[in-house]
Amino acid sequence: MVTLNDYLLASGLLFSLGFAGVLLRRNIIVIYMALELMLNASALALVGFSRFHVRDGLPDYNAQIFVFFIITVAAAEVAVGLAIIVALFRARQTTRVEDLTSLRF
Amino acid sequence: MSFPPALLELLVLCLGLALLLVESFTEKQDRTLLAYIGMVGLGVIFLILQLLPPGPTGMASYVFDPVAIFFKKFVVLTTIIVLIMSVDYATTIQRFVPGISSQAGLGEFFAIPILTCAGMMWMASAIDFILIFVSLELVTISFYVLVAFMRRNASSLEAGVKYLILSAFSTGFFAYGAAWIFGVTGNTNLVRIQQVLPALGAENYSAILFGALLVLVGLGFKIAAAPFQFWVPDVYQGAPTPITAFLSVGSKAVGFIVLLRVVQAFQSLPPVGDKVVAALIILAAATLIYGNLAALPQTNLKRLLAYSSIGHAGYLLMAVAGISARDSGQAVVIYLAAYLLMTLLSFLILIIVSNYADGDEIVNFNGLSQRSPLLAFGLLVAMMSLAGVPFTAGFLGKFLVFKVAYESQQFVLLALGIITVGCGFYYYLKVVRAMYWQSAASNGATIPVSGLSFATIVLLVLFTFLLGIFPQMATGLLR
Repeated sequence: MVTLNDYLLASGLLFSLGFAGVLLRRNIIVIYMALELMLNASALALVGFSRFHVRDGLPDYNAQIFVFFIITVAAAEVAVGLAIIVALFRARQTTRVEDLTSLRF
Repeated sequence: MSFPPALLELLVLCLGLALLLVESFTEKQDRTLLAYIGMVGLGVIFLILQLLPPGPTGMASYVFDPVAIFFKKFVVLTTIIVLIMSVDYATTIQRFVPGISSQAGLGEFFAIPILTCAGMMWMASAIDFILIFVSLELVTISFYVLVAFMRRNASSLEAGVKYLILSAFSTGFFAYGAAWIFGVTGNTNLVRIQQVLPALGAENYSAILFGALLVLVGLGFKIAAAPFQFWVPDVYQGAPTPITAFLSVGSKAVGFIVLLRVVQAFQSLPPVGDKVVAALIILAAATLIYGNLAALPQTNLKRLLAYSSIGHAGYLLMAVAGISARDSGQAVVIYLAAYLLMTLLSFLILIIVSNYADGDEIVNFNGLSQRSPLLAFGLLVAMMSLAGVPFTAGFLGKFLVFKVAYESQQFVLLALGIITVGCGFYYYLKVVRAMYWQSAASNGATIPVSGLSFATIVLLVLFTFLLGIFPQMATGLLR
């Protein structure tokens, strides 16, 4: 039997993986993937909470609506984000964060 | 006939989309016309907002209370002034956006701020985590495009990527926090959350606190509170200047209204609410110290204003942390009103001067008082108000914030606030010194100012003084 705790553990792991990826990886595309992982962690947590939060014999669909919005927003974010990263690559020929240092003082 | 308030956002959205359509079907037309249409359209929205009384909306996730009305007017006004700045900035945009015609990209540069404005107006009314999340993302994704708008300019692109990564990072925190708050309370609506919180069992306290702190981290990025402020200087410096102004005024203000509403909701459960307030106090203290100390050695005015905006976030957080005092919300509102006047005034003058001198450094302002006395006086008023000199709007804002901190007995914050105001005097006066005591390096010609910008500068200066001299005007902001 899968319990709420299992879902929360999985989502916590996803979130930590994403978090660590953003902090540790040095390639912008990989960082971007890690960011998506963080959003998916919250989607999984929401679905888990929704499934185990029963109201009148039905799961709480409020959270599942939230999940749809998270998926949509994440897609929009990827569309714009990848466009910016491609523009950066064409200008600089790099996707490494170490090379983004022209704005330091 | 009553006018449904929720229609306003849709009208703004339609205005932005209509401008994009007009842009793609008229090739020869001068693009600045689009900016003027946008300003007039937003002006009409502002008038409607002025006339609409607050009242019930019949929607669970959308409120139309005096605070929401104030913030809607605030962002509409900000967007109008940003459009005025964008017209002055158009030549720089043309230089850095590739395209077949010389006007490529200008239409979008005028239309996207209007779409952003619609998102900010939704945020001002949102009291449900779903609506807050979606409108927050509408604002953020529009800003991705705007910050990285100058595709041929390496620093604009770099600022865009940094803003992209760190904003998406904060979104992750916000969504995960909202998920946990839903998990514990079974609600995404802030009003319902406030109602069910007192009945919560003690075994759930740590889970709800975890969720609240994650949401706080997410919002901390948006309002540029230390230690989540590290993106601010780079992004503010690299972005097109009108967008920097938009980020520092509009984006910050709507971050604060969401923060106020979330913190307010958690006050119904003191064991958790007190810890949230304690976290806010730490954030406020760190933000005050970092923003004001890091601003001291700056020589670039755009970057200086970025640090100054971090510092002002600290004073605003002080007011939010004093949520137990009666006037906390009012202090935030009045401080933001003053912040709008003085920050937009400084950015407007910065754009005009740096267009002419081709640089944002403080040395470019040397001897400005002899070349263009009006611009110099305008920037003098802005800097005085930012520093908090009496009889300016900035003084009133700081006074109210300190009063709230005193009433809620946060004496450490109060002391920190007073010390950092002293730091503020040093770096704001550095700009004044360059304008009035240094002589101009080379070209001593008068800087040309367009009629619209001239009128805006005069109005902003006037209101900075009016708000400072007649504080009772400020209470009318929240009728």
